[in-house]
Amino acid sequence: MSILTEISELVQKGRAKEVQALVQQALDEKISAKEILNNGLCPGMTAIGEKFKNNEVYVPEVLIASRAMTKGTDILKPYLVSEGVEPAGKAVICTVKGDMHDIGKNLVKMMFEGSGIECIDLGTDVDPQKIVEAVKETGAKIVCLSALLTTTMINQKSAIEALCEAGIRDDVVVMIGGAPVSEDYAGEIGADIYTNDAASAAAAALAALKNI
Amino acid sequence: MKPGKPWKGTMTRRERFNAQMHYLPFDRTVNMEFGYWDENYTQWDIFTENGIKNENDANKFFAFEPPKVLGVNLWLAPGFESKIVEVKENTVIKTNWEGILLEEPKDGHSSIPKYIRSSIETPDDWKKVKEEHFPRFDKSREPDYAYFDKTASDERDYPVGIDIGSMIGKIRDLLTVEGLTYAVYDYPEMVEDMVETVCTFTEDMLDKVLPKYHFDFASGWEDICCKNGPLVSMDFFKSVVYPCYKRIGDKLHKHGVDIWYMDCDGDVRPLLPYFLDAGINCLFPYEVNSCLHPADLCREYGRDLRIMGGVDKIQMIAGKAEIKKYLESIEPLVARGGFIPFCDHRCPPDVTPENYLYYLDLKEKMFGLK
Repeated sequence: MSILTEISELVQKGRAKEVQALVQQALDEKISAKEILNNGLCPGMTAIGEKFKNNEVYVPEVLIASRAMTKGTDILKPYLVSEGVEPAGKAVICTVKGDMHDIGKNLVKMMFEGSGIECIDLGTDVDPQKIVEAVKETGAKIVCLSALLTTTMINQKSAIEALCEAGIRDDVVVMIGGAPVSEDYAGEIGADIYTNDAASAAAAALAALKNI
Repeated sequence: MKPGKPWKGTMTRRERFNAQMHYLPFDRTVNMEFGYWDENYTQWDIFTENGIKNENDANKFFAFEPPKVLGVNLWLAPGFESKIVEVKENTVIKTNWEGILLEEPKDGHSSIPKYIRSSIETPDDWKKVKEEHFPRFDKSREPDYAYFDKTASDERDYPVGIDIGSMIGKIRDLLTVEGLTYAVYDYPEMVEDMVETVCTFTEDMLDKVLPKYHFDFASGWEDICCKNGPLVSMDFFKSVVYPCYKRIGDKLHKHGVDIWYMDCDGDVRPLLPYFLDAGINCLFPYEVNSCLHPADLCREYGRDLRIMGGVDKIQMIAGKAEIKKYLESIEPLVARGGFIPFCDHRCPPDVTPENYLYYLDLKEKMFGLK
């Protein structure tokens, strides 16, 4: 088994310390940071995401895998910078105004980062104007809006309206998610993409970024 | 809906509940709901105009007949001191009574808080918290026998249940979702000891009350699932939590308690076979949007599974036509038995009072005394 395959499998099992050690070993063996990320760490997260999508694993396994991946990427970061590696894209991500819940948003962020997408995480209870400012400042092409409650999902619409008013709606792909949200609701409020789970969200975001 | 006027019936509340839950003939469905968000009490005109300030007021106003649940403290004794750490523009950061550092809205509107950090991250933390907050023997763990005697007398005409608490959901609360995940992975023996601790409290309590009182059901709470399934490792659930349910289920069955409902939102399907095997045979309030239409679940599990709740709040928000269509879709389940319909969580304020009253009236028309 190659060291990169081994890293991928250890990420899936959530073995953080071993991931750290093998990432360091791979660097010592002169494997580029980009290759370790793209062929070791990211495939591990993609595989766990696929299992999550198919209900073969659940939230705990995704959290554990993500923790292991983060340990690996922490080591890689300075090398990625010096190699000039660019992310697959940038996404502004948040839980909308009025809603403090962040597990769904964090899962999406983990899967995005596991797919090589840089996330600008605005946190929870985020004002629409703050989303607009973040898009303008970072040039993000994806905006992800999470809501847990029926009373706060309407603020996904408010965020989209704010993007429209700022004249930047067509510059971004808006994705929505959360327990009460549906494909129909996404259409109703003018979002571009709804997905049922975090792994599907990452796959949809990558596909959208390719079409931009 | 006429305020304060109970639905007509030919059975006592206790007879009705037991008949409905055991698939025996019943006169009409139990008329109950699962309460409301705090906002409803200030935003719904039917509540503000009639002085309804809490769930008890609402239950009286609508003449609901919820079963009573008795219990003792199976958790922290004492709790942590709640402290405000920081006041921000729109939120407050504080430690709550379970020792969790969290951030919540300053204006008090309903939202699950953002959990920042637990007081328990390592076995040493747990050792200290266990010593200080989880004594096995404490006055609060003793039943209030006078109240139990009064409420659960054999002559009663209403159903009474015993609260068996939570084997993993409260521990999830204490550790946070992420904290529980990492602890199960990093310190499984610590989490196992936590589960064993609360299970022992529950068994102690059951040993005291089951020989003395005839309960109609047991109730539990976990909320250990989200729309994408369990928030606890399945391996841990199967090897540690499920055996505790079995121990409790065996005690309940030995004393004739054969209905045990579990309050667990989200997609519970991965846990359901283990629930059922341990004796947890009723889901409450069965959140439809995160799982399946109840008819689909009942088709799979037949009469082994009962449901209390299961009326999709999303349809109640949508409007009268949607409410009617939804109630029609559960009509065969209610007629079959083992299904007490009510809103699948606390009713949110975005259900209009008009739609809510329509729903209650239609529920009586469809599932009341014919």
